[in-house]
Amino acid sequence: MRWLSFIAALSIGCGGSEPSPDIAPASSAPTFSVYTVNYPLQYFAERIGGEHVTVSFPAPAGDPASWSPDAEAISAYQQADLILLNGASYAKWVATVTLPTSKLVDTSSSFADRYIMVEDAVVHSHGPEGEHSHGETAFTTWIDATLAIRHAAAIRDSFVSARPEHESDFHQGFAELERDLAAVDERIEAAITGGSDVGLVGSNPVYQYFARRYGLSVPSVHFEPDTYPEADGWHDLEHLLEDHAATWMIWEDQPIVQTSDKLSDMGIQSAVFEPCSNRPDFGDYLSVMETNAAAIDRIFSAQ
Amino acid sequence: MKQTLYLAWRYLAFHRFKTLILLTSITLILYLPVGLRVLVNQSSEQLTQRAEATPLVVGSKGSPLELVLNTLYFRSDFPEPMRYAEAQKVQSSGLAPTVPMYVRYHAQGYPIVGTSFEYFDYRSLRLQSGRFFTLLGECVLGARVAEALGAQVGDSVTSSPENLFDLAGEYPLNMGIVGILAHSDSPDDDAIFVDVKTTWVIEGLGHGHQDLTQREAASAVLSREENRVVANASIVQYNKITPENVDEFHFHGDISDYPVTAVVVLPPDQKSSALLQGRYQSAEERAQISRPSEVMGELLETILTVESFVLAGAVIVGLATLASAALVFMLSLRLRRREMETLFKIGGSRASVGALMASEMVVVLVAGIVLAAGLTFLTSQFGAVLVRALIRM
Repeated sequence: MRWLSFIAALSIGCGGSEPSPDIAPASSAPTFSVYTVNYPLQYFAERIGGEHVTVSFPAPAGDPASWSPDAEAISAYQQADLILLNGASYAKWVATVTLPTSKLVDTSSSFADRYIMVEDAVVHSHGPEGEHSHGETAFTTWIDATLAIRHAAAIRDSFVSARPEHESDFHQGFAELERDLAAVDERIEAAITGGSDVGLVGSNPVYQYFARRYGLSVPSVHFEPDTYPEADGWHDLEHLLEDHAATWMIWEDQPIVQTSDKLSDMGIQSAVFEPCSNRPDFGDYLSVMETNAAAIDRIFSAQ
Repeated sequence: MKQTLYLAWRYLAFHRFKTLILLTSITLILYLPVGLRVLVNQSSEQLTQRAEATPLVVGSKGSPLELVLNTLYFRSDFPEPMRYAEAQKVQSSGLAPTVPMYVRYHAQGYPIVGTSFEYFDYRSLRLQSGRFFTLLGECVLGARVAEALGAQVGDSVTSSPENLFDLAGEYPLNMGIVGILAHSDSPDDDAIFVDVKTTWVIEGLGHGHQDLTQREAASAVLSREENRVVANASIVQYNKITPENVDEFHFHGDISDYPVTAVVVLPPDQKSSALLQGRYQSAEERAQISRPSEVMGELLETILTVESFVLAGAVIVGLATLASAALVFMLSLRLRRREMETLFKIGGSRASVGALMASEMVVVLVAGIVLAAGLTFLTSQFGAVLVRALIRM
């Protein structure tokens, strides 16, 4: 007789009329709204979507990886038709906010098996769940142009699924973007394979995917371009150089003069390879990557 | 005939107390079974509406009724959880949008419904005040919950541990109220809504604690060796998620392995619905897919069987009351013997005196039928509104 009590309660609680499901996005809208978690995805989405898509990336200047949106920005994400995620543990704030799951697109899920785990992540344990670590995946996937193309392919597929009437435009936008990214990739590859043997060190651990793509070894320290490193930092570099003879350090941005002078004294030259995770002051993602390619060309052609 | 009816009317008006009792009895005899039927039909329709607005529900294999009652009405014991991967699987199939549901925990006696942002759109729920949740640890209250607790936006509610004696179990989570829903006259009025990830924090699958690499956590650290830090249970774990500490919250393992009690599936057409249902027919499949309208239909059939017993009882009571009314009329005829003799003496025929007596009964019966019909009409028009108003009191 237990169900009888259910019925009494249910019939009381069900006075209202139930609406029909209306969760599917309206496909009649002329453009649809897309939000991204970093600038490269915004650039790819704009190139692929063209006039059919309005792409937004509301993060302020700075590194979006350490950005947490406020309630207003989260509300904007919630209202979007699609939300493009980078995957690889990028934008950790996504795990602690409420976003419509049906609108989330993990653009790197197709190559999740190629994520690189950060070796020096802190592992800790407390309580019965055992040993674990936080944020152990390298996330600057887009600096490997071949992976950038796979991000773009996922974006194309999600656009086609959401707005099939513009499929040919999306395919065309993707094809042009793929050609441009492949050109950058070929240029870097040609510079490295045709150049001299150069030892590189990263100013920060953001070049893992770049290094793997071109078969390089790029260990890193934790130097910030706008700050003169502390003694511990220099000690780490000296320690690193004992096993890895580097003559160039690649930076996310131009380092301050004192740092580059000190490096120069140590026989290490500085070059900038911008990951371009946020909007550049000048140009766009492609022009920044072309500048990066030129920097790599300069490094590997130097005697 | 007009005179007969006039005399009958005057007699009934003179004996108004007796007439009133007879009229009330006959009205109620007629109204009760019919009105009950109308109310049951309305309740059935309301139950069916919510079930029909929920095309498909996926859950672990087990009782479909338990699954549907838990998912739609938040009432049943929570069914066997299944992996969140099931929601991801349906979603990635491209056949239908999904809404995950994790209805397991309670706060101050009300069910905590862990779901996604889409739930509010899907059920067309609107806010009375505040906003929908955006951060982990925020909640939105159903209208009746807010009224019962006297809660407002800015207050908080705390989840109740499932087992008071499970000292190593889940921590009570203090959840900030960021919105209150407008009345929807549905089970949503009696629930507390959070992001499904918040229910995972309640369960202890996600948590926030001091950064072990920071100096503040030094007292909890047992050992520190290169990149390996071991802490004891004294490490400060947060039981309230705020914008200041939200970045310290994290989930361990693969989210796909996390539990949900059900996934509401919203196929856009019959073909997608059929394809999805076909995928769950295999005997090896560990999940089941249910059509809530069918499950509730079966339940309502059982209810209607019970209703027929109630109706049979009402009919028997009605017959007994009618017999009593007939007895009252017959006894009144005996009491009115002298009155009838007077009518004969002043020239009234047997037929006209009989017509006078019969018309009194007919007037009472017709009046009873009209009143019962009126009450039934009012029930059909305002029964649901009345029930809702009573519930809100």
